[in-house]
Amino acid sequence: MKLKVLSGAALWLALISLAHVWWNVGFGNLAHRFEVLMGKERDELVVGFLPVT
Amino acid sequence: MTEHSEEGSLFRSQKFTDWPTVKEALIAKEVGAVFILAPMAMQLRADGVKVKVCYLGHRDGTALVVGKDSDIHDFGDLKGKIVAIPSRFANQNLLMHKMMKEWGMPDDSIELRELPPPEHPTALLAGSIDGYIVGEPFAAKAEVDGFGRVLYHTKDIWPEFISCVLVVRDDLIEEQRELVQELIDGIAKSGKWLDESQEHRMDAAEVAGKYYYFQPPALLKHVLSKPVDRVKYTNLAPLKDDFDEIMNLAVEVGVLSKPIAFEEYADDSFVKPLAELDWHMDELAKPTAADMEGKQ
Repeated sequence: MKLKVLSGAALWLALISLAHVWWNVGFGNLAHRFEVLMGKERDELVVGFLPVT
Repeated sequence: MTEHSEEGSLFRSQKFTDWPTVKEALIAKEVGAVFILAPMAMQLRADGVKVKVCYLGHRDGTALVVGKDSDIHDFGDLKGKIVAIPSRFANQNLLMHKMMKEWGMPDDSIELRELPPPEHPTALLAGSIDGYIVGEPFAAKAEVDGFGRVLYHTKDIWPEFISCVLVVRDDLIEEQRELVQELIDGIAKSGKWLDESQEHRMDAAEVAGKYYYFQPPALLKHVLSKPVDRVKYTNLAPLKDDFDEIMNLAVEVGVLSKPIAFEEYADDSFVKPLAELDWHMDELAKPTAADMEGKQ
């Protein structure tokens, strides 16, 4: 019984974490952040401008 | 350079044509930072968009232009005339109201007409407006083409005038401080380099005109040299007193619906003394031929 509860909790945790990454972070973004941390890719930032003056 | 990259981070620019799209792009996190008008930044924050003003784009660099042969010789002569402004959220709009107050003129004594900046010079030439107030290089355009005359440079009527500010998303400020710092250091170093010598300014006009702004380098050279303090790229820290003045004017004019505290929409923690900042030109990545072709 204890093993079943622990397995269920672990599975729930894994699923909820994957869902969080999918919805809130994005797997592509996560992979990019990892590559940046490893020094394999350059960090990138898009800067917008509104030429209204 | 960041801790994790020897080449430095990559900053890409994206042009927007209207304010609602900028707002959506910030909310959707499609852009991390944007250069927009100072009162717009305050309104964004008032609307609940989580961004902060972290730096300025430049100081001064705006002029009030009238027809070369017109009978307008001071601000009082604008009474009953039509003057184009870039946007009601522009600091140029607030400046016009400030001037009307200083000259003892009623708020409706000049008709202020919103027009996209590139249309200002052509509207003056066509005679549909009597003057316009706008950021460079559109102010210089009428002057260089011989049909406009600068009535006032902002440096002479509102010294250290603020037009464009850099807003950054709150989540980047909290989670990627190093990246935001690198961006702001880059802007500060570039501004310092520009203001160091006329030679630097002329080089910048040549490159920016050809590859970024797609405008005649001669026009940008005029902007950056006649007079030399027409636009400045130093003193770019967001200062509370400057912003309080803009905010109070914006509330008075009705551009902002209610006052907003400086601390709510500004973060000056990335500002470093200029003495600590310098480009190491030999360490900068050189653009490749493909990079330059891509920009043409």
